[in-house]
Amino acid sequence: MEKKIIVGVVDDDESVRESLPDLLESFGYGTKVFASAEEFLQFEEAKELGCLILDIAMPGMSGPELQQELIRQKRDIPIVFISAHAADLLPTLIEQGAVACLAKPFSEEDLLGAVRSALARN
Amino acid sequence: MENGLNRVIDALPGLIWTMDADGGISFVNNRWQDYTGQSGETLRQTGLEPLMHPEDRAGYRRMLQAAAENSDTTETEIRVRRADGEYRWFVFRLASIDDAPESGARWCGIASFSDEKRAGAEDGNAPEQRLLRFANNLPAQIVFFDPEGAVEFINNEALAYYGKSFDELRDWTNAGVIHPDDIPQVQQRLAAFVADGKGGQVATGRMRGHDGAFRWFRSTLLPSVDAGGNIVRFISIRTEIDDFRKAEHLLTAEVELLRMVAQARPLAFVLDQLCRAVEEISPGSICSVLRVSREDSRFRAGAGPSLPDSYNRIFDGKPIDPGYGPCSLAATCNEPILSSDPLRDVRWAGSSWPGLIASIGLNSCWSIPIVSSSGRVIGVFALYKETSGEPTALERQLVDRFINIASLVIERAEADAELQRTSEELQRANRFLVDTQRLTLTASFTWDVERNEHIWSKENYRLFEFGEDAPVTIEGILQTIHPDDLPDVEALLGNATNGKDFELAFRIVPASGRIKHAHVLGTRIEHITDRPVFMGAIQDVTARKLTEEALNRARADLAYMARVTALGTLTASIAHEVNQPLSGIITNASACLRLLAADPPEVEKARVTAQRTIRDGNRASEVIKRLRAMFTNAPTAFQSVDLHDAVQEVLALSASEMRSNRVLLRIDLAADRPIVRGDRVQLQQVVLNLLLNAIDAMREVHDRPRILLVTTREEAESLLLSVRDEGAGFADASVERLFDPFYTTKAKGMGVGLAISRTIIENHGGRLNAASNADHGATLTCRLPTIDAATDEDPMNETAYTKA
Repeated sequence: MEKKIIVGVVDDDESVRESLPDLLESFGYGTKVFASAEEFLQFEEAKELGCLILDIAMPGMSGPELQQELIRQKRDIPIVFISAHAADLLPTLIEQGAVACLAKPFSEEDLLGAVRSALARN
Repeated sequence: MENGLNRVIDALPGLIWTMDADGGISFVNNRWQDYTGQSGETLRQTGLEPLMHPEDRAGYRRMLQAAAENSDTTETEIRVRRADGEYRWFVFRLASIDDAPESGARWCGIASFSDEKRAGAEDGNAPEQRLLRFANNLPAQIVFFDPEGAVEFINNEALAYYGKSFDELRDWTNAGVIHPDDIPQVQQRLAAFVADGKGGQVATGRMRGHDGAFRWFRSTLLPSVDAGGNIVRFISIRTEIDDFRKAEHLLTAEVELLRMVAQARPLAFVLDQLCRAVEEISPGSICSVLRVSREDSRFRAGAGPSLPDSYNRIFDGKPIDPGYGPCSLAATCNEPILSSDPLRDVRWAGSSWPGLIASIGLNSCWSIPIVSSSGRVIGVFALYKETSGEPTALERQLVDRFINIASLVIERAEADAELQRTSEELQRANRFLVDTQRLTLTASFTWDVERNEHIWSKENYRLFEFGEDAPVTIEGILQTIHPDDLPDVEALLGNATNGKDFELAFRIVPASGRIKHAHVLGTRIEHITDRPVFMGAIQDVTARKLTEEALNRARADLAYMARVTALGTLTASIAHEVNQPLSGIITNASACLRLLAADPPEVEKARVTAQRTIRDGNRASEVIKRLRAMFTNAPTAFQSVDLHDAVQEVLALSASEMRSNRVLLRIDLAADRPIVRGDRVQLQQVVLNLLLNAIDAMREVHDRPRILLVTTREEAESLLLSVRDEGAGFADASVERLFDPFYTTKAKGMGVGLAISRTIIENHGGRLNAASNADHGATLTCRLPTIDAATDEDPMNETAYTKA
């Protein structure tokens, strides 16, 4: 069997960290969750991940800051931003290389579409 | 001497005596005593000379002298006064008695009656002549009138007094000796006597003496009848009663003046009358009274009815200079000053006074200080005369008496003026008090609970709208109390009956129906111990109440606006707060459906996701609930509030805002009993304001963690809630301005937040303060009374809120 594609999830909201993996797994993806950007940066096997679902507003390092840090570290990983703040979904994030920006709450279809686009970028 | 010899001597028809060598009388016989009416003892002590006619005394002394020189018998004629006052001629003979040395007597004298010898020469023995001689010798004025009223005889005393001859006085009533005012009286009396021998026997009148002065005399008119009872003449006897009369006058004047004092007649009038009285009793004197002002040591006009006005005016307001004249000197040294010859008096050598006084024809001035009962000189009495010289005894007596009256009058006037001043001041003060009470809408009262007696100030009647003449009773008062407040007022009555002080806010519904808010305060009067009597104040606080209510409404509206504004800034965060659980719900529901659709369905996993859906749904609902509470413009209501709960709710609502601003929240809610009395929403609004401000303050901080610290702790019946940020802080000078409405350090925002927050905290009996931290940022601290302290809060404040 082909090795499962692992999708990373970074969100300080526990509800997201619980529900999103269940949904992604029902589509056959593996998931790896992180409660903060700092926690993700500690993760050694980040390159194993097919893509990253990243919350924008978090205490400490924000989603976009993490994006900048990854660019700086030349770790190229497709990012799907999610945010409960509609205003956060700035076009600049896409310009910076993000695959998509989803406003919470988002539909199953939107999520799947965005993840598939991200994985397609590889 | 032997008794036998004594009897012989007493039997001899003469006055016999013995004398010792130095002239002392050693013995007089009984004849001496019988004739003179004097006792032997008196005669021995006073000697014989006083009984002899004054004209004959020199002859007697010459006889004694001659007897002493040649020790021979000498003889001389001497008149001796009989017991009835008549003098009779005696021949005095003196013989030496050398043979009786043991008795100490040196001379023996015999005076034998010799009128017979004289009678021939003077016909003095005729009854008529004896009467006239008797009349002439009396020390009183005697005038005989014949039965028709014509003058028959005037004695020597009268002639001497009037300085006129008998012929000049013959036309008695027109001789110019009777005071013109008394002439009719004299004529009437005489006429009445002539008519029927009766009439007023005694009368008084003024008679002019040879010196021109009238003196008072008392005159007795008696009929003289012969053996047959026919009136042969009228005898008028006058004795001078001038001193008596003057004393009487003085007394009358004194009584009259004192009566005027008692009637509180004007000072100027009484002093004027006083001067006139002295001038009347002592003709020739001119009087004045000057007052000495207590304030500035100057003279003030008193009275001087007989002095020229121009002279009196000089003294009114004149500074008292002892070198000016006797009055000034008397006022200065508090002693009577006599200037008997002003023009030559060195004491006023440089003064204009002597010339002034001479110019109005006066040549002496006697000034006497008028002294108050406390010893202060309050005036000067002056007695001027046209003649130079000393005051007479009468004048001294008059002045002595009237000075006292003057002192009394002036003191009384000063006391009256003082009383008047005090009374006016009191009236002014009272008017002021009434005005003040009107202005401050504060009434005062005393209330005797048991006796139901009320003493009210004017303002009280106005407040209750009672008529000022209607009696005030507690029943009447109770009828005007707002029914809702009646229980409180009745409780107050109960306490007052037990003597407890009271304070109460209540409403009055007076006759006009216009509801008034009143605030009463009563304190028991301590010195009335047998029953409770209160004094107190009652204030009409209606206007304040209405203003307060309007202010509270405005404040609540503003607070609501501020809250909406604050929540507006939170909209994004709140959306986040709601979107977060919504996101969970949708994701979970999607997962659930997929898990159920799998083959085989993963029912257990689906159940977990369904539970998560419910959980997230509740979470969203909580957010909405909080929001609804904060957005409601509910009326303020004080209740017990758990401050920690309230703070936690606000923190939950603003958690996302903090997160999106990357603020690290630290919470240290250390208070054990975080219960305060207050309005939960208002308090939450304050906390929200403080949090938003703290978040705002740290927006530009990039070099250090944006730590926001929320703490509570207890301290001395207070609960302290602090919100500390790590922002830029502020200059200490601007700390107080932070609380000004519309002051802001931020580019955006109205700045109403802190001003409203402070008002809210103060309405909760607390304080809101700001302080810069030692390193970075600022700390805002609310100090709120804990629940125990809060229950003791001013009841007025609470009512204000419950009724708002």
